[in-house]
Amino acid sequence: MVTQASVLQQLAAIAGPEHAGPPQAEEYAVDGLPPSAVVRPGSYEQAAEVLRYANSERLAVIPRGAGTLMALGNVPRAYDIALCLSRLDEIVEHEPADLTVTCQAGISLGRLREHLAAAGQMAPLDPTLPAQATAGGVLAANAYGPYRLAYGTARDFTIGMRVATADGRITRAGGRVVKNVAGYDLCKLYIGSLGTLGVILEATFKVRPRPREEGELAFALPGAADACGVAAEAERRGLSVAAAQVLNPAAAQALGLSAGAAIVLVLNLAGTPAAVARSAREIAALAAERGGRAATSPPQAGAQHPPEADPPPAGAGAPTGDSRAVVGWLSVLPSRVPEAMAAIEASAADARTSAYPTAGVLRVRCTTGDGGETLRRLREAAREAGGRLVIESCAPALKRDLDVFGDPPAAFELMRRVKQQFDPNGILSPGRYVGRL
Amino acid sequence: MARRNLIRELQSACGKKWVLHAPEDLLVYEYDGTIERGMPEAVVLPDSAEQVAAAVRIARRHGVAVTARGAGTGLSGGAIPCDGGVVIATPRLNRILELDPENRRAVVEPGVVNLDISVAAAAYGLYYAPDPSSQKACTIGGNVAENAGGPHCLRYGATTNHILGLEIVTADGEIVQAGGETGEAPGYDLTGVLVGSEGTLAIITKAVVRLLPRPESIITLLAIFDEVNQASRAVSAIIAAGIVPAALEMMDKYTMQAVEAAVHAGYPPDAGAVLLIEVEGLAEETAEESRAVQEVCRDLGARELRIGLSPEDRERLWAGRKGALGALGRLAPSYYILDGVVPRTRLPAVLDGVYAACERYGFRVANVFHAGDGNLHPNVLFDERVPGATERVLDLGGEIMRLCVDAGGSITGEHGVGYEKRNYMSWIFSEDDMEVMARLKAAFGAEERLNPGKVFPTSKGCGEVSSRMRAAIARAGPDAYI
Ligand SMILES: Cc1cc2nc3c(=O)[nH]c(=O)nc-3n(C[C@H](O)[C@H](O)[C@H](O)COP(=O)(O)OP(=O)(O)OC[C@H]3O[C@@H](n4cnc5c(N)ncnc54)[C@H](O)[C@@H]3O)c2cc1C
Repeated sequence: MVTQASVLQQLAAIAGPEHAGPPQAEEYAVDGLPPSAVVRPGSYEQAAEVLRYANSERLAVIPRGAGTLMALGNVPRAYDIALCLSRLDEIVEHEPADLTVTCQAGISLGRLREHLAAAGQMAPLDPTLPAQATAGGVLAANAYGPYRLAYGTARDFTIGMRVATADGRITRAGGRVVKNVAGYDLCKLYIGSLGTLGVILEATFKVRPRPREEGELAFALPGAADACGVAAEAERRGLSVAAAQVLNPAAAQALGLSAGAAIVLVLNLAGTPAAVARSAREIAALAAERGGRAATSPPQAGAQHPPEADPPPAGAGAPTGDSRAVVGWLSVLPSRVPEAMAAIEASAADARTSAYPTAGVLRVRCTTGDGGETLRRLREAAREAGGRLVIESCAPALKRDLDVFGDPPAAFELMRRVKQQFDPNGILSPGRYVGRL
Repeated sequence: MARRNLIRELQSACGKKWVLHAPEDLLVYEYDGTIERGMPEAVVLPDSAEQVAAAVRIARRHGVAVTARGAGTGLSGGAIPCDGGVVIATPRLNRILELDPENRRAVVEPGVVNLDISVAAAAYGLYYAPDPSSQKACTIGGNVAENAGGPHCLRYGATTNHILGLEIVTADGEIVQAGGETGEAPGYDLTGVLVGSEGTLAIITKAVVRLLPRPESIITLLAIFDEVNQASRAVSAIIAAGIVPAALEMMDKYTMQAVEAAVHAGYPPDAGAVLLIEVEGLAEETAEESRAVQEVCRDLGARELRIGLSPEDRERLWAGRKGALGALGRLAPSYYILDGVVPRTRLPAVLDGVYAACERYGFRVANVFHAGDGNLHPNVLFDERVPGATERVLDLGGEIMRLCVDAGGSITGEHGVGYEKRNYMSWIFSEDDMEVMARLKAAFGAEERLNPGKVFPTSKGCGEVSSRMRAAIARAGPDAYI
């Protein structure tokens, strides 16, 4: 019989008594469910040992970084151990001239940013709460923001990882060089797997030089199609747009970009000063052609929203304390973004929607006072626009009755077999993933 | 008898005409661009995913392996049927099914030739970015399987960054959709692991690819250096200066001499190396970046800089680079193309090591490669008719891979592990690392049924070693380059 006392004793033996104990605060609860124990390993080996122990005793482990993205996922089937990676927070290697950085999973993006900025570089990770979020957590949740337009998502710039397997082995995927096709690209599998296949201990990223000039433009436009049209044309011309967001009136208002009943297009520019200046001019002309007017002051020199510096302006995805709030995203073909925006508004009157137009991703925040009714309507709206609504956060009570990821995808059977192979005892974040894997 | 039944069943699934089994018909399916070869029992040329699935099920019932094959330009022995069995070749699956300029994507069958996508998309000002030097011949299926790169992957990324979804046939003969309906889908990124899986997890029957708008401005620069070391230091310096060109390629002295003799690119006979640098983007950006690149090159001792602005001038600057492989063919009866990666800062040291190793073995080597991402391609010149030469070249290849690994790099940047490098895998991955990969293979139910003997270490050998590289290289077309 495994008792809480024996778990605590074992974890204390692994990580030291000051780094293992019962949960002190609410914050370790996942969807209201508290763990029996919290452990903060101080080395990869300790993390692996925790897993070996948990695997042999069939204890459910949920890894966590800073906890900023813990709302994502289905209600866990079981939760014994919170495996906190916050002590694994070092830069392992950074050779600026190679444009690569290797860091431990528990490092905050704030610290990573500072470190890279000193060398005039950046890693384009762009989650909602960038300062606190940890590298490992952002990878596990595959969190991204509007800067994916220019820099892609984690799968595009993560080149290597160290991962502890469910049975407590420390393994490597990828490497530290920017081009590498040796073996299966398991990094892709771990990104977005929400701690259900392994525990990310370390990651290597391609980094970039920071842009020399940045700026932000915002326009009020008559409709979403106009806003998407401006963004698409700017991208077609290769203008220096790093991020684009199309905000519905409610989202615009929430950001203080009050523009009456209009749609607002926010564009972040990055590049050389001459290219940014020209881009700003051409975009203003494009917007004017479609009946747009500036919704804020014209671009200023100097950094505004480099991806990891500030919360992205839309804020539609930020977790929230309001128990009636729902945050979700859906992905549709870019050409169907305006249609999807309209369908969302029709199903949730107070929805704040921000779309990344050329990626076809929409993020939604609304409130539900009606049980799951609004959610159901939103899901239907997403389906009609050819997408699938993923709920990033909502009240645990609502979650119990649904799969936050929506209907299982076409390849679900393969995914189930992957999970079965990687975690045969089902100890890693059980029940939290797609189809409750 | 068993073989006759196998063939008969394949014929009834795919049509008699599309199943090859006579020895003389099988001959061309024995090898790819590498040194090894292996003879299949039969080759099927299916016309649909359903036929692929049927062929896989038939092979499965007969307990024989299946190896997918695109154009056979692979340089790691990936398409060689090591265990015999059935080869599924994709020349008939060559349709561009959908071209959607508004959403900048295309849905293509696996046998579509890489360049044909860009040709079809050109009408909309779009193109498919990954550009392996064999792009006039190699197929998207082969590119996806190898996660193929190319000169412009420095800026735009390799195949993996441009595949939005796949349709696959599993080892059980089932057709499965892995992503691709929209840009982002919940669930494990199966598309991501299928890219680069070298035909060992599933057979690709459709790919959704991303298309990019053509850049407004392109400037090509050629920088000539006295010493190879200056050139490789310039590569690091350009990257360190925060410039990421679209392409940054290097050719060393031996390559240049060969090129000069063949295509008269105008390289000075005593030069040590050239860099070919391409910057792309808005006119404002390319002007500035090209100035900055020139400055770095001059600082590092470039003795001459040539600039190409018009398409014709740019093409002229590329001519030597593109003609290199053909030119090398004049220098020796055979050459062995290697593929390794090192951190960019280690390029100068590793290149020195490559020259030293080749000298020790007594082989001439010509380096022509994707320097910007530290992706080396030493081409070792040799004569396969000299007894023992092939074996010694392979040993030398191993030593060069060792140099890359010791520098913190990898045993392959774009050509894949295939058959050729499977026993080097343990130099960069532990038993545990590979065991996890084996689990993925098990999840796909692929085990030894799809492309056996590839990627992972085994002592088992393919049929025999011969030197057929030239045939495969000829297949890549007269103007393929490396
Ligand atoms: C002159 C020359 C230059 C080259 N330059 C480059 C370069 O710049 N960059 C680069 O990356 N490579 C280069 N290559 C290597 C080669 O062209 C690439 O690896 C290419 O992707 C192979 O495509 P293919 O259609 O010829 O595939 P094949 O050689 O036929 O097969 C390669 C692998 O793909 C698998 N495969 C093929 N089709 C499928 C399918 N439908 N489903 C699943 N698996 C499949 C095969 O089983 C095999 O493992 C070059 C080769 C030559 C000869």
